[in-house]
Amino acid sequence: MRQGFRQSMAWLHTWSGLVVGWVLFAVFVTGTATYYRTDISRWMQPELRREATMSPEALAASADLAVAHLQAHAGGARTWFVTLPTPDRPLVELFWRNRPGTPPGHVLLDPRTGAPAALRATRGGDFFYRFHFELNLPPLWGRWIVGICAMVMLVALVSGIVTHRRIFADFFTLRRDKAAQRGWLDAHNVSGVLALPFHLMITYTGMVTLALMYMPWGVTAAYRGDQSAYFAETGQITRDRPATGEPGTLAPVGPMVARALATLPGPLERLTIVNPRDANSTIVAVFEEPHGLSHEHPQVAFAGTSGAIVEVLSGALRPAAKTFTTLVGLHEAHFAGAALRVLFFLCGLMGSAMVGSGLVLWTVARLPKAGAATGFGWRIVHTLNLGTIAGLPAGIALYFLANRLLPLDLAGRADWEVRAFFGAWILVAVAGAWPAPRRAWRLALAAVAGLFVAVVVADAATACGLWDDPAWFLGFDAALLGLAAGFALISHKVARFAAPRRARRAVPEPAPRMEAA
Amino acid sequence: MNRSSSLSARASVAGRLVLAAGGGYAVAAFTTALLSLTLPMPRAEAVTTATLLSFPVMVSIVVVAFAARSLGRAAAIVGGLALALALALRLVAGSPPFGFGS
Amino acid sequence: MTASTSTLVVGAGLGFLGLAALCLSLGRHHQALWPTPPDRRRVLGLRVAGWTLIALSLAAAIRLEGWNFGPVDWIGSLTGAGLLLIVVQSYRPRALLWLVPLAAAVTAAAALGALA
Repeated sequence: MRQGFRQSMAWLHTWSGLVVGWVLFAVFVTGTATYYRTDISRWMQPELRREATMSPEALAASADLAVAHLQAHAGGARTWFVTLPTPDRPLVELFWRNRPGTPPGHVLLDPRTGAPAALRATRGGDFFYRFHFELNLPPLWGRWIVGICAMVMLVALVSGIVTHRRIFADFFTLRRDKAAQRGWLDAHNVSGVLALPFHLMITYTGMVTLALMYMPWGVTAAYRGDQSAYFAETGQITRDRPATGEPGTLAPVGPMVARALATLPGPLERLTIVNPRDANSTIVAVFEEPHGLSHEHPQVAFAGTSGAIVEVLSGALRPAAKTFTTLVGLHEAHFAGAALRVLFFLCGLMGSAMVGSGLVLWTVARLPKAGAATGFGWRIVHTLNLGTIAGLPAGIALYFLANRLLPLDLAGRADWEVRAFFGAWILVAVAGAWPAPRRAWRLALAAVAGLFVAVVVADAATACGLWDDPAWFLGFDAALLGLAAGFALISHKVARFAAPRRARRAVPEPAPRMEAA
Repeated sequence: MNRSSSLSARASVAGRLVLAAGGGYAVAAFTTALLSLTLPMPRAEAVTTATLLSFPVMVSIVVVAFAARSLGRAAAIVGGLALALALALRLVAGSPPFGFGS
Repeated sequence: MTASTSTLVVGAGLGFLGLAALCLSLGRHHQALWPTPPDRRRVLGLRVAGWTLIALSLAAAIRLEGWNFGPVDWIGSLTGAGLLLIVVQSYRPRALLWLVPLAAAVTAAAALGALA
């Protein structure tokens, strides 16, 4: 590495991009899907009926039902999370963590009766959301792996900018007529440069969302490691109220909900109930983010046993804290309306395309000469590429398909959907080892397109009687058909591009030379 | 490329990798801790600012580790920075408030 | 059309026109529409027009949405416009001949609607 700065950065870009590319592709794709997390959840539970706005009294009553359910079923948990019903999602969602090592509790209730909601069991869009930063691994492992990959991504972006010497001249260029390598390089450059502000923003802000986990040493130095003291001092959460160890009885929650609604404007989103059976229990009413870039939830904290307000948090962050919450807000894009959300989604797709085309470029640039066998390393990269780039979308399609086709009363139904996701992914990844690379690509991507069409067919066949808003469901299905068309198009293109030119020249008939390799 | 030069090239890459990951993280962590204690603003603000800066700091150290002309030079720059920051942190914190400054 | 959507249309329209001007100032793309590469005066004219239009799209986004959302909307709309432009000029470069006047008309209409 005794060459110039640009060469060393080109080397760094190639290899840093390759080693984390597969994870990054999965993170980008599931993150992009997460822009439509609530829509995916809604599509996956077509039984759900949306409603008019709930009155404060109805909201308070549903909170009381929620706490009654938790008292009966989650008495031993340290913290209860209650998500209150909204017109779009008229459900009470309960979540609680039991002892470490045991699975957390989770249930959806009908807000009027308090009985478990009659909906198909699914993890909906939340599955993609969590996969995006935990990869379905134990949280600590998943978050560190994603964080390290994000850091390497940032390095790859910076070194890629340095490497790309003709940014302006090539900005508008997609050469379709030149060699395969040129075409993939153009695709990589265009998807990378065009959405570069997005890529830099999303990678950096992604690390910021978990900054205190990746870089806790500021809090260690200044707060002796007490993160909740730090967060409370920045004004993002209410102050911790430690448990006394004395037993206590929770006061009725309904009146607290009513007082919270009278204290702060805006819709109430959820309740957090800490140490529910302690004399020093706390109930925090968390409101939806007010309209703005910044991710900050106004909150009212109550003493659980008396129902007295102990703290009100509403805006007024200092500059650094405001910067931090704005960066988190930019990452999540909760503020984005329909049109801006489409643009964020497109940027996410361009990020996926940048990572995917970069991975493919690595193999295309190292295609063996005609007649020569492919090396072991090349085959590994190729197989992982195909397994990730075609396998993950196949998994997503099968996840949707399983949602429509699995019996509604199947035990562990939500887990079976996830198994369908991984099953399809693994199957396609194994098929990627097929010794004819070009045909494997074409067939795998065509299969993905076919699977997305099958999802739409299955939806229309099994669920159209359940649609409460047919136009909305048809719109979602149209988007899925759009994805199918996209994959069919890429399948068609790849069939052209993945053919090695040198090999093609050596063998005039259309049968690809690679199949013999 | 003969065997010994490819071996030394590999060793150089491995060395830079260790420098970039370990040295980069150490410099970023020391910088964060130091700035958290010294930035002239309220404590929470200083910690937030320092933590937000830590990631660009780490990226620049990684770039330096791979761009430096030789492995020795890269090690001198990254190691020197880490050492200077650790010493400064020791001075600022008095007795080191956490394990790795000692 | 909500306020935010018309901001995006104005931003994307101005951005599309600006990026199209910059694109056409490059020899390769100029020759997709006209037989010769652009001469120096034309390059200069197109570049000035391009950057001016992009600056205008930023100004419009900030005027309509303020300093908070304006830059976010601006970058989003510019990215969308760039994607459209690149697809068009890679696959149907001659479509620019009618897309540019169309973009100008849509932008003007959306801008009038947003300011009214």
